[in-house]
Amino acid sequence: MKSKERQQYLLSLAISVILALMVGALIMLATGHNPLEGYGALVKGAFGTRRAWGNTLYKSFQLCITGLATAIASSAGIFNVGGEGQMYLGALASCYLGARLTGVSPWLALPVCFLAAILSGAVYAWIPAVLKVKLKINEVITTILMNSIAIYFCSYMANGPLKTMERGVNTGTDAIDKLFRFNRLIPGSNLSETVFWIAGISLLVWYLMSATTTGYEMRLTGQNERFARFVGLKADRLGIAGMLISGAMCGALGMFECFALQNRFKPDFSSEFYFDGMLVAMIMRYKPFGIILMSFFFGALKMGATGMQSQTGISSELILIVQSIIIFFMAAEQGVVARLQLRKTRREPISKGG
Amino acid sequence: MDWSSVFNAGTLMNTFNTATIVILAGLGCLMTEQAGMMNIGIDGMMTVGAFVAAVASWAFNSWVIGLLCAVLAGLLTGLFYGVMVVRYHSDEFIIGVAFNIFAVALTTFLLRTVLSQSGSFHPASGTVQNLPYLSFGKIGGSDINISLMVPLSWLLVVIAQVFIYKTPAGFWLHASGEHPESLRSVGRNPEKMKYIGSVICGVLCGLSGAYLSIGYLSTFTEGMSAERGYVAVACVIFGRSNPVRVFLAALLFGFIDAAGMRMQGVIPPTLTATFPYVGTILMMVLLALRNQAKKRGKRV
Repeated sequence: MKSKERQQYLLSLAISVILALMVGALIMLATGHNPLEGYGALVKGAFGTRRAWGNTLYKSFQLCITGLATAIASSAGIFNVGGEGQMYLGALASCYLGARLTGVSPWLALPVCFLAAILSGAVYAWIPAVLKVKLKINEVITTILMNSIAIYFCSYMANGPLKTMERGVNTGTDAIDKLFRFNRLIPGSNLSETVFWIAGISLLVWYLMSATTTGYEMRLTGQNERFARFVGLKADRLGIAGMLISGAMCGALGMFECFALQNRFKPDFSSEFYFDGMLVAMIMRYKPFGIILMSFFFGALKMGATGMQSQTGISSELILIVQSIIIFFMAAEQGVVARLQLRKTRREPISKGG
Repeated sequence: MDWSSVFNAGTLMNTFNTATIVILAGLGCLMTEQAGMMNIGIDGMMTVGAFVAAVASWAFNSWVIGLLCAVLAGLLTGLFYGVMVVRYHSDEFIIGVAFNIFAVALTTFLLRTVLSQSGSFHPASGTVQNLPYLSFGKIGGSDINISLMVPLSWLLVVIAQVFIYKTPAGFWLHASGEHPESLRSVGRNPEKMKYIGSVICGVLCGLSGAYLSIGYLSTFTEGMSAERGYVAVACVIFGRSNPVRVFLAALLFGFIDAAGMRMQGVIPPTLTATFPYVGTILMMVLLALRNQAKKRGKRV
């Protein structure tokens, strides 16, 4: 991005975020809450205690990996809305193995589970990718419908064929072997050793996207597919590769969630985690560095919102509203700027004449 | 498996009742599609309509007011879509996907914070007034009740077909997407037509949402559209924006859904729930394969 363009973008982003937070405050006022109290509880919920810090940090890492997963597919021209389903399948596959491989050394078992997770995620992302590049079937529709299919399927498996016999567990697969689980870094919080893995994967993807030829070729394909084909790039293959990596990342996150926090596959392990990251990626216009940076801001908002909900009774959905409003502002930004400039140029000759 | 339990008059009734959600949303979606905009956000428009219909029908103790409020809310969502896409040239997909997330978040927020309920809307006093039913008595052992909205939606299909193919306004709507410059050269404003398309879309999606919450079911639940808006978009693609064809595609979806529900005795409900989604994707794949075969045929 050129520096002037970047400046304008950052300015718009800052204005959008502030305006959206103000809309959030107005909504609080309209529903009979004090916005200062609400946002105060939010900050406290995000950073008030050691445990809150841990949760906020973990949420940020989660947003980071899902945001980059959206970004890498989008940079290659395919909008992956199906990360949730890919995550579910990755979680189910790895949890199944994690329970079955008891007795095997973790050094062998964990890589096998990881492989299973990324393969199931990638294969499930491959289907809509192929449908898109070969048959031109809109990927937004297929991926979102495939989310529902995967979630229903996994919930069937966890309540049916793979349901555990363990007492006191209503739904879920057998527990993952204790040796395979990740330790928590801050007891009681969600922050676990998985963040090192997530950080590693994120850095790798960032490098791939911004410093390699493949990343450049993907961007070229995403920006102008016909031009990419014209200069001899295999646009189809690049698009599919972007989706495969995206799906693999989602699958991996599914494994991390279950191996560190749930200890087994449960059909309700995710509350639309992928969509949270996707929103961050959309706000940051699929720029990897921006996503990594802003993950921490939105992670704090997201985690703080749960604190706000328990403290003041304002539903945490408010932050989702604020985030989507930021996207509306950012999506309309170029149109608004163009209109403002048009008005300015129209006005100028008159003022000079007068 | 006893097939007569799957294919009977009850299944037909369920087919009509379920399909109507998609028929109305599909009609809305094709209005924007005709104007050259792909509206992914109809799922969110339906969610807003469903919420407003349920709450207004409860608050005023009248399904008529519930329906009217849902139509008004739908009109506003359509206007919003128009402003974002036509006036500010925002990316249709980004607006659509973000609007769907926004709609679920907003309605859930209002349900939890203002109405102090979570999950679904079950007011302590008063009732959510439902759309009237047309009762046909018992046919083949099952009570046949069809919501008033079902025949109304069929009427709307006919009206939409006539509007798009037989009236000048329908022609302009199509031209605003296909050839905006030619439309401008005959003195019509393509942007205005796109706005009209968006607003009609919003109204129809509002109706679809209202039918969902006070016709098909009798309450609002969080995220109750269950991706049916996306199914409607798929039906519009499958029916190539022709109202009658979209109607047939929606009926096919309704049938898969209804047959799946009837098979729940044999197949677990979590699996039959996937049928409509799998069916929709297969529908799109078959259409794309056929189109490709046609293209190849032309080349040879």
